[in-house]
Amino acid sequence: MNRSLILGAALTAIFLVAAALSFLWTPYDTETLVIANRLKPPSAVHWLGTDHFGRDILSMIMLGARTSIAVALVAVGIGMGLGVPLGLAAAAHKGGWLDEVISRGGDLVFAFPSLVIAILITAVFGPGATNAIIAIGIFNIPVFARLTRGAALSLWTREFVLAARVAGKNRARISVEHILPNVMNLLIVQGTIQFSLGILAEAGLSYVGLGAQPPIPSWGRMLADAQTMVTLAPHVAIMPGLAIVLMVLGLNLMGDGLRDALDPRLKVLRT
Amino acid sequence: MLAYLAKRLVSLAVSLAVASLVIFLVVEVAPGDPASYMLGINARPDTVAALRAELGLDLSKPERYVAWVGGMLTGDFGTSYTYRTPVSQMVADRLWVSLPLALYALSLSTLIAFPAGLYAASRRGRMGDAAVMGATQLGVAVPNFWFAMLLVLLFAIKLGWFAAGGFPGWDEPLQAIKALTLPAIALALPQAAILARVMRSSLIDILGEDFIRTARAKGLSPGQALRRHGLRNALIPVLTIVGLQFSFLLAGAIIIEQVFFLPGLGRLIFQSITQRDLIVVESVVMLLVFAVIVVNFLVDLAYAAVDPRLRTRR
Amino acid sequence: MTSSGPKYPGGAERSEAGAEPPLLDVDRLSVTIGGKTILHAISLQIAAGEIVALTGESGSGKSMTALATMGLLPGRARASGALRLDGRDLLPLTEPQLCAIRGKQIGMIFQEPMTALNPLQTIHTQVAETILIHGAASRAEASRIAADTLARVGLPPDRISHDRYPHELSGGQRQRVIIAMAIALRPKLLIADEPTTALDVTTQAQILTLLKRLVREDGMALMMITHDLAVVHDMADRIAVMKDGEIVETGPTRALFANMRHPYTRALFEASRHRAVLHRREAAEPLLRVAQVHRVYPGPRQGLFGPRSVTQAVRGVSFDIARGERVGLVGESGCGKSTLTRAILGLEPVTSGTITLDGHPVFTHGHPNLSVRRRMQVVFQDPYGSFNPRHRVDRLITEPFHLLPDPPRGAARDMAIDEALSAVGLSPDDRHKHIHAFSGGQRQRLAIARALIIRPELILFDEAVSALDVRVRAQILDLIAQLSRDYGLTYLFISHDLSVVRGITDRVLVMQAGQIVEQGPTDRVFDAPEHPYTRQLIAAAPVLPETGGHDAAAPAH
Repeated sequence: MNRSLILGAALTAIFLVAAALSFLWTPYDTETLVIANRLKPPSAVHWLGTDHFGRDILSMIMLGARTSIAVALVAVGIGMGLGVPLGLAAAAHKGGWLDEVISRGGDLVFAFPSLVIAILITAVFGPGATNAIIAIGIFNIPVFARLTRGAALSLWTREFVLAARVAGKNRARISVEHILPNVMNLLIVQGTIQFSLGILAEAGLSYVGLGAQPPIPSWGRMLADAQTMVTLAPHVAIMPGLAIVLMVLGLNLMGDGLRDALDPRLKVLRT
Repeated sequence: MLAYLAKRLVSLAVSLAVASLVIFLVVEVAPGDPASYMLGINARPDTVAALRAELGLDLSKPERYVAWVGGMLTGDFGTSYTYRTPVSQMVADRLWVSLPLALYALSLSTLIAFPAGLYAASRRGRMGDAAVMGATQLGVAVPNFWFAMLLVLLFAIKLGWFAAGGFPGWDEPLQAIKALTLPAIALALPQAAILARVMRSSLIDILGEDFIRTARAKGLSPGQALRRHGLRNALIPVLTIVGLQFSFLLAGAIIIEQVFFLPGLGRLIFQSITQRDLIVVESVVMLLVFAVIVVNFLVDLAYAAVDPRLRTRR
Repeated sequence: MTSSGPKYPGGAERSEAGAEPPLLDVDRLSVTIGGKTILHAISLQIAAGEIVALTGESGSGKSMTALATMGLLPGRARASGALRLDGRDLLPLTEPQLCAIRGKQIGMIFQEPMTALNPLQTIHTQVAETILIHGAASRAEASRIAADTLARVGLPPDRISHDRYPHELSGGQRQRVIIAMAIALRPKLLIADEPTTALDVTTQAQILTLLKRLVREDGMALMMITHDLAVVHDMADRIAVMKDGEIVETGPTRALFANMRHPYTRALFEASRHRAVLHRREAAEPLLRVAQVHRVYPGPRQGLFGPRSVTQAVRGVSFDIARGERVGLVGESGCGKSTLTRAILGLEPVTSGTITLDGHPVFTHGHPNLSVRRRMQVVFQDPYGSFNPRHRVDRLITEPFHLLPDPPRGAARDMAIDEALSAVGLSPDDRHKHIHAFSGGQRQRLAIARALIIRPELILFDEAVSALDVRVRAQILDLIAQLSRDYGLTYLFISHDLSVVRGITDRVLVMQAGQIVEQGPTDRVFDAPEHPYTRQLIAAAPVLPETGGHDAAAPAH
């Protein structure tokens, strides 16, 4: 165990617990608006203050965590679920047409500014959490495909894989039995990083109004709403931003810590 | 070298072709007919049909794709559904805000990241390294648009050193640069954090290479070995990230423009989305993708300049 | 320095060589890393013009001694004692002082020529840097010296353009560039750390000859680090044998080989020339038949639209292996032996020709023939890469069961595992361990167990002992000989190392550039080689003296 893993896991756990807890309980009800209570600074009553509708910001952040985590997690799931098999298949048939298509396709997706395409997708299909998930998820696919392919290619040259081929095992079976377990560490670390990038991307999309739509609370939306009130009540803008920073920081620390704990030589993709 | 260049050029052309096709198809499946949207629900059918013909919407899909791509190749990006003005004109005005902003941010990011990564790598495992790494860990976690809001709060509202937003135009270059400074910092710092981390780990990898030990055996000091043999080798992965960052900065610029009320491509794109002016969306997205693909092509050329192995092999 | 080191056995030489003070005087040098002692008060002298070999197995501290002399120990290492070059102690020197000495007074050559050069600079630039960094000459002068030095190490500009980059050179040529960098300023001391271990035997002979010539010409002292006693015997004036961070024995080469006092020296020597005892076999019907096999790989295109170049890896190879026969296949890297091995295993198709086992083709209709494969197995070279680190021993060694239509289960499987582990000298209890619990030699035993478990008729040993230290290598060779007797094994033993092949095979095939250039009974081929290439190979291989006794073959210096 190392310090960044403990700190990162603790931060991440706080947000996961807060998100889970919000299904059962939040400090205040956020659906009734108390205008008299608007833009109150942090106090003993409202720990993080209230927003322009008089809603408790702590409660909003707990509910927003739910959206952020759900969107990012499903997007990582899409990326892993499709990217890892594609990467394994490309490596198993190195130089074949599948490898070519996957590599070129990946290059192409990387060439698109991800946020721009997310904007295009949400512009065409309408804003919303589902389209945000798809938009972010699509960009996770080549990340995982490329990562898996690279790691798998070097494993395919190892003699234990040759030994499995001598034992008559086919490529699919070797991929599952020998390659996948040996890229798992790398996938876990990269998954953590993509999770944190997903949180940031979701916040960006909902900030420009293309993510989760009201009344679903989201951190990016809270920041967009806060923008005009930043001079009157800075805490309205600061608190949701801090939530994003701490959650992303926690995930990144956890990723680094996991890497150091599992294998410090692991090479993750940084984008 | 020629073969390498030719291969990259072919892949550049293929990327652009596929990208344009994808964008066209995505926009094609969009629900709703622009002509009826523009004329409102009470428009007479023959007026709608006339408008459709005027906008070229009555052609078949392949014909429209060819017309769109052919138009762009000659600088004709079509006509805005909403404003009935040439898209190319609208884009050109906005580009003079977005492109300088992205380049400004890219320079800042590189200028901050290179020394920081170099310093951290050379102080590996010591206090200086820990400090830089801690700062970058934080930098990576900060959403740039929120950072932008904090900058506005501090430098525009509290200190009054900068305007909180808006753009005076390039007639006054100094004022224009000043107006782009806060946005550029907001864009650059999170990217600089990533770049510094990549720079550091790339340098550390290179410092473990055998040829660095060879250099030390020749009598080079650790610093000389790093500068003469480490830097150029370490640059290869860093270049990749710089190329990728350009696309992030362009996209990031779109969001940052919202915070600072800058009349750039971002504003144009969001306006067009709300007005369902899809021809504008389509063309602006294509333009951004084009810029990114060209930058990646330039990065490939830079590789070949740095690495002789690419010039002779392949 | 708190404790005084033991009197080293070679103490008598000190006064002999010490008519004038030695160039390098390593005086009770100790090195610790993180509290662990790596070198225990070693003492060693090297005179100008003398070649001293440090030898021993991996982990004996040879390379650490070299790095300590260069002042390039890892950051956490602490050295004590004294390291005197021309009477000046190097240990207390500051980094800038050491930088002024490295490359100018001490040059160093490394093991791995493929990675020891900067890929982004021309070879001329890299050699000239040695001169420029010490301010030893003007830019023009340095450029001239660099060119001369490259010519001196056998790379004259009319043969190899000095504007080439490292990736455009062969391994042997790169090693010459590294030597040129090390000797450009004519240092007094040259340190060579396993300089030929990564090279083929004929290239090795050339590099060793070059080093000897340079030492004689410049009157340099050479500290040569090598694990190979035969190389030591060919090269060195004096030898220091290291074990666990100590010098256990030292003396002039001829005297030391004639009279080895330390048991470890004797053990190393015996293991180095070890030949397993093969029992006699009667020839039987052919088992493996390789007939007119060609394998062509498509290469890169010539120019943008030009035709693809082709690499002919295997060109018309034919041979038989009879049941019960033990055949060697020797050749240098790139000669096509790996391609041939993969083709025999049916892992890759051949371009033309046939490979059959007992009359059945190993590869048919684009697919390996698994019913034939189950009668063959293979043992690979790398004891560390041959096993999936995530599986336990029982799963690892039973992997070939996958080839059987009805693999043994339950008690039968357990029995097969027990028997295979026992056969290779391991304990049946090892079955639950992970691979990282085993040493390199034990892993090779596991690799053999994995090959044996389905009782194959033919085993391919693909450089199976090349990565092992000599004593472990000797044990594994004995094990192979014993298994050959117990199980009546037929095998093909593929190796670049002639001495190993000689001891373990009845018949040998010599391969060069994709062709078998000579084949015949092992002793005949080695004693009376017919093909010029075989003669060249055998002449290039450094040899140990026949006995540990008085030896006339030692080089006269």
